[in-house]
Formats: sequence, structure tokens, C-alpha cells
Amino acid sequence: MMATEAAAGPVRRLNWQLAHVRDIVVETYRVKSVVLDVTDWQGHLPGHHVDIRLTAEDKYQAQRSYSIASPPEDELLKLTVERVNDGEVSPYLVDDLRLGDEFELRGPIGGYFVWTVATQGPLWLIAAGSGIAPLMAMLRHRAKRKVRSPALLLYSSRSLEDVIYRDELDAMARADPDLRIDHALTRKQPNGWNGHRGRIDRALLAEACFPPEQAPNTFICGPTPFVEHVADLLVELGHEPFRIKTERFGPSGG
Amino acid sequence: MDETPISRGFRSRRQEQAPNNRVPPGQYVTTDFPVLSAGPTPQTKLQSWNFALQLGASLLGRWNWAEFEALPQSTAKKDIHCVTKWSKLDTTWQGVTFDAILKSVGLAESPAPYIMAHCDGGYTTNIPVADLIGGKGMIATRYEGLPIPPSHGGPARLLVPHLYFWKSAKWVRRIRFMEQDQRGFWESLGYHNYGDPWKEQRYDGD
Amino acid sequence: MAENVSSLMLDGNAAAGLLQEIFVPEITTAQVECGGCGHTAPIGSLQLYGSGMGAVLRCSHCDGLVMRAARTAHGRWLEMKGARCLRFSGDMAADRQC
Repeated sequence: MMATEAAAGPVRRLNWQLAHVRDIVVETYRVKSVVLDVTDWQGHLPGHHVDIRLTAEDKYQAQRSYSIASPPEDELLKLTVERVNDGEVSPYLVDDLRLGDEFELRGPIGGYFVWTVATQGPLWLIAAGSGIAPLMAMLRHRAKRKVRSPALLLYSSRSLEDVIYRDELDAMARADPDLRIDHALTRKQPNGWNGHRGRIDRALLAEACFPPEQAPNTFICGPTPFVEHVADLLVELGHEPFRIKTERFGPSGG
Repeated sequence: MDETPISRGFRSRRQEQAPNNRVPPGQYVTTDFPVLSAGPTPQTKLQSWNFALQLGASLLGRWNWAEFEALPQSTAKKDIHCVTKWSKLDTTWQGVTFDAILKSVGLAESPAPYIMAHCDGGYTTNIPVADLIGGKGMIATRYEGLPIPPSHGGPARLLVPHLYFWKSAKWVRRIRFMEQDQRGFWESLGYHNYGDPWKEQRYDGD
Repeated sequence: MAENVSSLMLDGNAAAGLLQEIFVPEITTAQVECGGCGHTAPIGSLQLYGSGMGAVLRCSHCDGLVMRAARTAHGRWLEMKGARCLRFSGDMAADRQC
């Protein structure tokens, strides 16, 4: 049975499993992807997240949720973590984690924020910072399935150095005429930058994007203020609220 | 049952204190002031704020902001302990003690053994009056000398620091005396009815 | 003052971990009708508060309390006083595609 079909079956009781770190990938100067081997993994759908639980020597525990950045077609699970300066868990995952380490993980969770190639209609993805993670699972899934329906990613980052998966996104866009990726750089733009400068705003959402009549399946993910701002603008522009799915990361973006 | 796997190298940012006379068991001292909420932050304007003391159908007292500010003020430096395991030491507050409120409506003692605190946004918590009198509880309006910001419960919040901090209800607007104890918001969802941090009374059944 | 604003609202989908300890079928796509205003929406789209103490899910139309859940040392609690009803789709394919 394919991973996606297994994941679509009746939800099994969520159990804590052991995840083993098989690889660590540097994405940007403060973002890394952790590649995990989870022994009894039953598969997932693009957009699902997991809970992870860390236990210190003194039994202190911390639990956090992370979106799965890898598509269901991948053997191993990939989580993309941004170091939050005063964070408790992300500095550990980004700075201290080593190959061979293990921690507890449960999932997949959160079928509300899921998209697969079986869904009809255009796909509109809007992300800021590490909010790109679940949307990347969707795009990687779409690329593996070689599906040709229109898709658009609007991705807001502080600067070019902050764009996560930059090269992979460029390659995806080059390889797929039905996928468009627009970057918004909010704080610093390189010389000759042709993309959007500054935050994603109403004008950008109105122009060169899916109009409401096309009823795009829209997913917005990132820090809470960003998500709320963009969702409000889309509704103002006439998009149906029930087609807009949001995943707020909280104030710090994860 | 299997031993929970230890995550090599992971440490809490917060320092666990050996139980001593300042930090209750299971708590970690923080210098932050985390904000937890059960709903959107009310933004009550001082012009429309009032605070009431209620017994059955009767209003024992009601104050608008100016009237409340005119009541005798007290300051207190206290340690606070959240059931989610953070403790913050030496927090300073200013407000009106429960004793002063009773006195201002001419009551030598409480008309009933329990109260329910009612707050903007619908939050409630129940407390025995014995845990509010004798300087143990106040309606606080200043934190660290400044008006309490809405996210931390302003304009006014209950402050009962010897109990877990969910009892220090934010955005308090009304205190209702009760003959019989009734459970408030968290107390009716599995949390301990009393909440003594020194006995680690976090959950119903502890 | 140093402020660690963990109280900002999240989406109901973020409570999926806790809720799936209680519900067997996928809970985030279940439709819930708000007992206050009648608005019906997937649980994953409700407004989530209460971080650290439990899940407090509010209606995105009226802010009314729809459901609450908590995991304690002695068990799990669920209250759905604010919901008129909960509907789990019988169509597994639709559930998968949300």
C-alpha cells in the first residue's frame, strides 16, 4: 500500500515513537532541516505536522509541533527548524543535535491543513519565513507526482540569505511551467532585484495572483501577524474564507 | 512501562531550583513573564471599566475606575507560580487588598465563605475567602509601577500569589460571594480546585 | 517588561495532537456547529487559545467558547458545552483531501 493511502485510512491512536537523526541539512544561517528515520512511520500527507518531545537528564520535558517538510513519497521524514533566539527547543535542534541522536515524535497530525494532487483546482501557497515548511511538502509532492495544474507560491523573507530552499525552489519553477514562485524580500534586496520589495500587500495579492473566480485552494503559513494580515486581505479581495486555510506559527514563527 | 528516552544534550533553559523556601516543587524560575490566555485579550477602556462586589442578587458595592483608584492602595512584592511550571520571583504589584474592599463597603467580615471571580472575556476562577483576606489577595492595577498591560490582565486583575497563578484572574470585573463552592474555568476542566503550589496541587486528584 | 507572548491565537489544527488523544477519527476536519451563533466550521479552523494549560477552541465568528480539552496527570478532559454538534465526514476520500 502506498504511503499516502495508508495515511488516509482510519486514524490510528497517536503513539509516541522514536525518531533517529539520519542527516542534518543547513538551509540558511539559522535554519536547518533534520532528516529522521521513524521506525513505525505509517506515512503522511503534505501539510501534516508532528509533535516532538525532548526529555532532559533531569526529566524536564519540552514538547513542540513541527510541520513535515518532506513529501509522502520520501522514505525519511524531514523537519525544517528555524533557530528562535530565546527559544528552548529550536536552539537545541539547530545547534546541538547530532547524527544518531534520537527523540520522541508522534504523528502525522492535523489533516485540516493538508493538500494532495487529488484536490481539484489551482493551488495558492503564501508563506513567510519558516512557514514555508508545510507548503514545501505540498510542492515537493506535486513535483514528484508531475502534476500540471496551476500553482503559485508567494514567499516572504527578510533577505535573500533568509530564503529557505532557495535553490530547490528555483529549480522547481524552472522545471515546471505551471508553477510560479514570487519572492517578497522585506528588509534587504540585492542589486538588480526584480521581485517584490517589502511585505506582501493588498496590491501584490490582487495583481498577478489567482482571482477569486478561480477558487484557488489557498494555504497561508508563517508568524501569526503575517497570516492574519494576508488572510484578511484575501477575504477583502473577495476570496472565500472556507477555501483559505491558515497555520499560524505563533509570534516567533516556530 | 518503558523508560522515557533521554534526548542527549537537551537542557531546560530555565534553572530548576532545589526545593527551597522560594520555589515550590516542580517549578523552574524564569526572568520572562509568559502570557497565557483562554481567549482574545479584552481591551476595556478605563471610562467603561467598573468593578462590582455581588452577593446573590444584591450589589454590595460598585466602583468606576476613579472610585476604585481612590480606595486605599497597597503594594506587594511577591513570587508567582504558574501551573505550567514557571515561577517568577520578586514581582511587584500595587492595588487594593480584598480586606480594603470589604472595609469600604462596611463589612467587618465576608458574607460568605467562597467567591467566584468573573472577568471580561468570560474567564472565571473560584477561591475561598480565607485565601483572600489578611492581605493574601488584592485587585491589582499596577505591575512594576506601571499600569498592567492588557495582555497581563489590565486594567485590573486578581492577585492571589500563594496559589497557582491561574487563580490570579486577569481582567477581573466582578467578585461574587458564594455559600457553596463552585468550580471555575480551569477547575472544571481537570485542574485542582484549590491549587496550592507548595503541595503541587496542579490537577484534580493531586 | 520581558514578554513571552505564547498566548497569541493559533489555529485549531495546532490542537490536533491533544485532540487526537481523545478522538479516533480525524478531528481537525470534523465540522462543528457553534452553539452560540450557529456558524459551522472545521475544528482545524477554530481559534485556539490556552497554550500550556489546555486547548480552548473558540468560534471564529462570535469568539464563543466551542470546546475545551486538557491533559492532566490523572486523565484527559473534554467539554463541548459550546458546540451544538460535531460531524465526522463518512467519506474517507473527502477526509483525506480535506
